[in-house]
Amino acid sequence: MTSKRSQPELKPKPLDALVVLAVVLLAVGAAWLSYGGKGEGALTATVKHRGQVVAQVELSSLTEEKAVSIDGAYHLTITLDKTGAAVTDSDCPGQDCVHTGRITRAGQSIVCLPEQVIVTLEGKTPSADVILG
Amino acid sequence: MKLTTKNLALCAVLTALALGLSTLENLFPVSLVVPLPGIKLGLANIVTVFALYQLGAASALGILVARCLLGSLFAGNASALLFSLMGGVGAMLVMILLRRVRGLSIYGVSIAGAAAHNIGQIGAAMIVLGGTAVLGYLPVLLGVSLVTGTLTGFVASLLFRAMRNIHFTQ
Repeated sequence: MTSKRSQPELKPKPLDALVVLAVVLLAVGAAWLSYGGKGEGALTATVKHRGQVVAQVELSSLTEEKAVSIDGAYHLTITLDKTGAAVTDSDCPGQDCVHTGRITRAGQSIVCLPEQVIVTLEGKTPSADVILG
Repeated sequence: MKLTTKNLALCAVLTALALGLSTLENLFPVSLVVPLPGIKLGLANIVTVFALYQLGAASALGILVARCLLGSLFAGNASALLFSLMGGVGAMLVMILLRRVRGLSIYGVSIAGAAAHNIGQIGAAMIVLGGTAVLGYLPVLLGVSLVTGTLTGFVASLLFRAMRNIHFTQ
């Protein structure tokens, strides 16, 4: 019995910092993978529902808001406009997709796990040349 | 570990405790503060850490799998099973390995476990949703896992201190 039981070290030790460092490096690596790539083309929103692409819209071509409805076990309304996308309404229990808010940059995504909906932005984030106060 | 009645009962009690803790934390979702799917405090991980050190890897894995199966049964969500299993088993494997490393405290083991849990969940999400778009969540989830891992490590260390003179597995 004693061979399987081991009393853990209860106070933080220097080597723990190495674990923290490894986690931070992984996070930076994952961030670089998903946001670091130089996107090409105009900012495009893709809406996938259960693996199928249901809408793909070049955002700059929009002149007014465009709503995409998803009907499955739950019902979602995705609103696309010139500069971004958001899930504006959903009757799923978690509401994580609605709470994610609006996404505006390439690489960002909104996920609804219960309905397996994913909204992604790809391409190049338009950068402001001049900001007028 | 011998499968005695006492050990079986102990594993069952710990499974029930883990399920209770998961249910409890669902009542106070962290996702209200950080709106990302899959963010949790991971209170049930305290039970996993405790079982791993006190009962050994095999029992801890058994408790974990039983907790995931029963948990998804209670929640009535089959797709959640894949998420909790991939996260839980990933965390378990990492903690089984790191437990042997001298010079790592329960904090390091717990943080690595929390991080592995999130990596496993993102892996599950990549399988379910198809594609790598969810990878963008990983940096945030890993950042959160530093906090939650430290927290569960702290609670587990309190638990071990309190249990130091109780040898209930003999």
